[in-house]
Amino acid sequence: MIPLKYNVRNLRVRWKTTLMTILGTALLVASSCILFGLVEGLEYSLKVSGDPLDLIVLRKGSSNETTGGFETSKADQLLTLPGIQRDPSGAPLAAKELLNIANGERANGTRNNLIIRGVQPASRDLRPDFKIVAGRDFVEGRGECIVSKIVSRRYKGGQIGGLLYFGDKEQYRVVGIFTAGGSAAESEVWADLRDVEKNTGRDGSVSCVQIRAASLPDYEKLQKTINDDTQFKLEAKSEKAYFEDQSRMGLFLKAAGTLIAVLLTFGAMFAAANTMFAAVSSRTREIGTLRALGFPQSDILISFLGESFLLCALGGALGLLATLPLNLLTIETFNFGSFASISISFRFGWTVAAVAMIMTVAMGLFGGMFPALRAVRLEVIAALREL
Amino acid sequence: MEAKGYSFMRQTSSIVLRSVYKEYRRDEFVIPVLADLDLEVAEGEYLALMGPSGSGKTTLLNLVAGLDRSTKGEVTVHGQVLGHLSEAEVTRWRANNVGFIFQTYNLIPVLTAFENVELPLLLTSLSRRKRREHVMTALRIVGLEKREHHYPRQLSGGQEQRVAIARAIVTDPYLLVADEPTGDLDRTTAGEILDLLELLNREFQKTIVMVTHDPLAAARASRVLHLDKGRLVDEVIQETRVSIAS
Ligand SMILES: Nc1ncnc2c1ncn2[C@@H]1O[C@H](COP(=O)(O)OP(=O)(O)OP(=O)(O)O)[C@@H](O)[C@H]1O
Ligand SMILES: [Mg+2]
Repeated sequence: MIPLKYNVRNLRVRWKTTLMTILGTALLVASSCILFGLVEGLEYSLKVSGDPLDLIVLRKGSSNETTGGFETSKADQLLTLPGIQRDPSGAPLAAKELLNIANGERANGTRNNLIIRGVQPASRDLRPDFKIVAGRDFVEGRGECIVSKIVSRRYKGGQIGGLLYFGDKEQYRVVGIFTAGGSAAESEVWADLRDVEKNTGRDGSVSCVQIRAASLPDYEKLQKTINDDTQFKLEAKSEKAYFEDQSRMGLFLKAAGTLIAVLLTFGAMFAAANTMFAAVSSRTREIGTLRALGFPQSDILISFLGESFLLCALGGALGLLATLPLNLLTIETFNFGSFASISISFRFGWTVAAVAMIMTVAMGLFGGMFPALRAVRLEVIAALREL
Repeated sequence: MEAKGYSFMRQTSSIVLRSVYKEYRRDEFVIPVLADLDLEVAEGEYLALMGPSGSGKTTLLNLVAGLDRSTKGEVTVHGQVLGHLSEAEVTRWRANNVGFIFQTYNLIPVLTAFENVELPLLLTSLSRRKRREHVMTALRIVGLEKREHHYPRQLSGGQEQRVAIARAIVTDPYLLVADEPTGDLDRTTAGEILDLLELLNREFQKTIVMVTHDPLAAARASRVLHLDKGRLVDEVIQETRVSIAS
């Protein structure tokens, strides 16, 4: 075996090329990791948003909460259906919600669509881990609202005490900041249902009703009752399925991300191959000497492949390291279904680690393979003649 | 008869070349380099090969050292017919039997003197401690035991060549081949290297085949052969060394 220090020191000796290659591969690994980390974040947020006992009731044929609603009278009937889970005080775990998409001004002056959700008390319990993390919850009927952290940070008037202004008729005083276990609600502004009804002039209608069934059989019964009722003309979707539907964008991002990662890996492969080809040709006589001393071809192959791996592993590790600060990163993007902004948090998970690993191995292997084979195929006496 | 002949060869002739013919092919061109060459080198002999540039000295050396194969004819070293060995086998054979000394030293620049000398031992199953012993012995023989941690660039040309010699002898090979070992050195340093080779030949009974352009270097050998256009032209027995050799 040719000792590994031979490769390590050679990388160190030509440190400029080494550094360039490492930085290059690190950049590529990092960008792929970011992409996959965001996809993972999106999928996570949609996954935790759906509870297996939760139903979301929409107008029949509507695929999204923000498009089309139905009459409050129907909604009130829904709340009286048997089989709905009850909280300790005996109130049903079901809520009418009214969504309004409003154009909000961000702190940097640009504008973006925000979801204003008019909610009822039970809405909170219907979200995973709903918590007020700063300020207090809003008081009904006073034009107050609570916002997610991201909205608070990004939007003008989003801080506690600030005023979220969407027009003369629609404005809310921010009194608190909430989190909801990383679920989709974390992109929204929550206000009292009646305030939203009043401000938008949509008295008498709701966007959806959220229901948590008491048990799985109840869940099935509820869904059947609602869907089969010809007068209702409503559709009770499983919340899980609803959010899975919404995550089609995640699929798209994933496909695009995979393609980009593959292309980037090819790029990095060429960079690594280039570096390694240069290494082999500048060390031709050394290779000839090693062969003369009795090192078999397999040792030469392993040595140069190892050097390539080392190079790419350093790049991969650096790339991965570079994504660490991004654990705090949240980006805002469009939900293609509603055109309202949703925020996605970067999640460093197995996918990201696997992406980095696969890219590194691919780069090291294919980038190093051809140079290493060239080193192996060198004719000993010809290599020894090299200067 | 044959068995007797073989054992005879083994005892007295370390290297035997029989009707060796060597040509290089480049595309459709055929370059004949060695023609119908017969040669015997005795065990413990110190042979110098001289001749004009392009006469085939390096080629002959490479055949004897198992780096290259003859086109026709047989090369036998220490009883081993090299043509019978596969590529992998001949590589292993080199590791065990041949020490190489190059004109340009060919040390690995990123390895220290110690690590360079240790390289051939990494192909053996010797323990770390044993390897260290062998390396230090070899460095002591060439007088560089205090330079074990130096890198080649921190050594003079003569010192580099001595490290290379230590690397060549560290596995205690049977045969040493040297291609113009003093070609890059000044006269004094060259003299020191030649002293060292002479020591290895006399004290350690190494068979040495050395290619050289320098008559003074050749004069140290026990026998000098001249190559011209791939043929051995004459043979000069060094009278001064004959008594020692016999
Ligand atoms: N790999 C090769 N392919 C083609 N021709 C070769 C090859 N190696 C050597 N030759 C040719 O064989 C001939 C002998 O070469 P060789 O290196 O043995 O000469 P030499 O006596 O060692 O010369 P020098 O004193 O310059 O080192 C030369 O004409 C050379 O061009
Ligand atoms: Mg030569």
